[in-house]
Amino acid sequence: MRVRGCLRAFVVRTSMDRVVFESVCKTFRHRPALFNWLGKERGGETIALKDASFSAASAEVLVLLGPNGSGKTTALKLISTTLLPDAGSVRVGGFDARRDAGAVRRQVGIAVAAERSFFPRLSARENLDFFAALDEVPSRERAQRINEVLHDTGLEEQADTLVMKFSSGMYQRLGIARALVKRPCVLLLDEPTRSLDAATTAHFWATIRSLAQQDTTILLATHNFAEAAAVADRLLLLQRGELLANRSVGDNESAEALRSFYFRLTGEVDETIDAAHRARTAQ
Amino acid sequence: MTSTLDKLHAILRRDLLTAIRHRSGFVVTLVGVFTELAAFYFLSRAVGPGFRPGGLEYFPFLLVGTGIYTFFVMSAQAFLSAVQEAQQTGTLEVLMTTSTAPAELLVLSSISAFAGNLVNLLVYLFTGVAVFRASIHANLFSCLAVLIFSMAIALALGIAAATLQVAFQKGSAVLWLLGSGLWFLSGTMFPIQSLPRPLELLARAVPLTYAIDGMRRALLQGQSVVAMAGTLAVLAGFGTVLLLLALTGLSLSLRRARLNGTLSFY
Repeated sequence: MRVRGCLRAFVVRTSMDRVVFESVCKTFRHRPALFNWLGKERGGETIALKDASFSAASAEVLVLLGPNGSGKTTALKLISTTLLPDAGSVRVGGFDARRDAGAVRRQVGIAVAAERSFFPRLSARENLDFFAALDEVPSRERAQRINEVLHDTGLEEQADTLVMKFSSGMYQRLGIARALVKRPCVLLLDEPTRSLDAATTAHFWATIRSLAQQDTTILLATHNFAEAAAVADRLLLLQRGELLANRSVGDNESAEALRSFYFRLTGEVDETIDAAHRARTAQ
Repeated sequence: MTSTLDKLHAILRRDLLTAIRHRSGFVVTLVGVFTELAAFYFLSRAVGPGFRPGGLEYFPFLLVGTGIYTFFVMSAQAFLSAVQEAQQTGTLEVLMTTSTAPAELLVLSSISAFAGNLVNLLVYLFTGVAVFRASIHANLFSCLAVLIFSMAIALALGIAAATLQVAFQKGSAVLWLLGSGLWFLSGTMFPIQSLPRPLELLARAVPLTYAIDGMRRALLQGQSVVAMAGTLAVLAGFGTVLLLLALTGLSLSLRRARLNGTLSFY
């Protein structure tokens, strides 16, 4: 509300824009069973995105920040065509996600936050081969590409392990590998480093920057300010489906600066500061 | 075309690897086949040689009826299970973001499900003939024709169950209804002429009735494709109409799920 008018003007649509959201609205309706005669279930509706307009250019890393339920994952799902907008339009590479979903999906790779979205009795390599076939990666290139992404995600040693034996972090790495094997023009990442160790996370951030240099558009949803500072060219700040901010991120902008920006705009209380203050007082 | 074959190969390989890594699955299936056939064999002996539905011995009559019925229901079940499992593991949403169109993906997946159940059907019929001495007089062309049209109908039923699973998360209930209703009405265990007239008319509206009758005539009586032209035409008609309806329903239910955000609900 505060800045949306300005943001609309900020959205510059050039031929470089690869992902374009135009006045997108998405609402989820809750329908309680038997009108709540027997149990208690939430009714009404949740506004996931409210008149959201933004764009992401080629070779740009756009980070989506916002509290839980702010609409970050919904935005990614709309781009990947697993959701359709109620109003407005989502375009990827000039194709409308509603009318040309197939053309959109050919350009998009997504790594979802949900673990276990794999076939448990196939190995990591077999899972990647399966999804690569469905993504129409030519069979003669597949083995080579799979080896590359297994290397990039540090899964070479576990390549032939059945994924049902994987830890959370390994699942997450495999999800990233699956998104990368397609070599998409648009890469969607939903909390990609949530379960990763520090070394893998650092390596992953370098991979993201390298992909952007190779002209990939990356949209990354995260709660991690260090991650945002490390990879973002620009950030969107969402709250309850509304776009609060859409601004570039400087090369030397720190995680701390992004944190204070986030809490200032969202109006949320930064309890980590309170906790640190309490700890110091106690000493 | 190359891409489609490549995808089919990937799906068949996935399902085969998953099946062989469920190590006990094959043994359980084989024991199940043998036990079921033994039960039907002794049932037919208990009924006695005087009962010859349509002029056929009762055990071969049961063998074909239950074999085709199981093929139908298990194919639809396999298809439904694949969708349910994909919803539960979260793979469905990811599969729907690949470059493969949802309808193509489901049809290719169903071919894989049918391939497994076709092997089961062949094992079932072979065991019935080799171990329990069912007498057959097969016309292979007719058998193949009946099987192809029956698969089109089973595919439509599988897609319909998957559609209801995506739309209302209740595909299993439909299959239960389908299973129990078809068992009674399709002439699996007894000829439909034994039913009261209204139920017999209802049975004649069930596609599985024609699939079972057609396979009995092709496999047990050796009737030619020409002699079975009427039955084959009915099966082809059912297959075409049901497939069109099922694919339209699937397309609508996927669109609705994408609008409501319920694609991965189960």
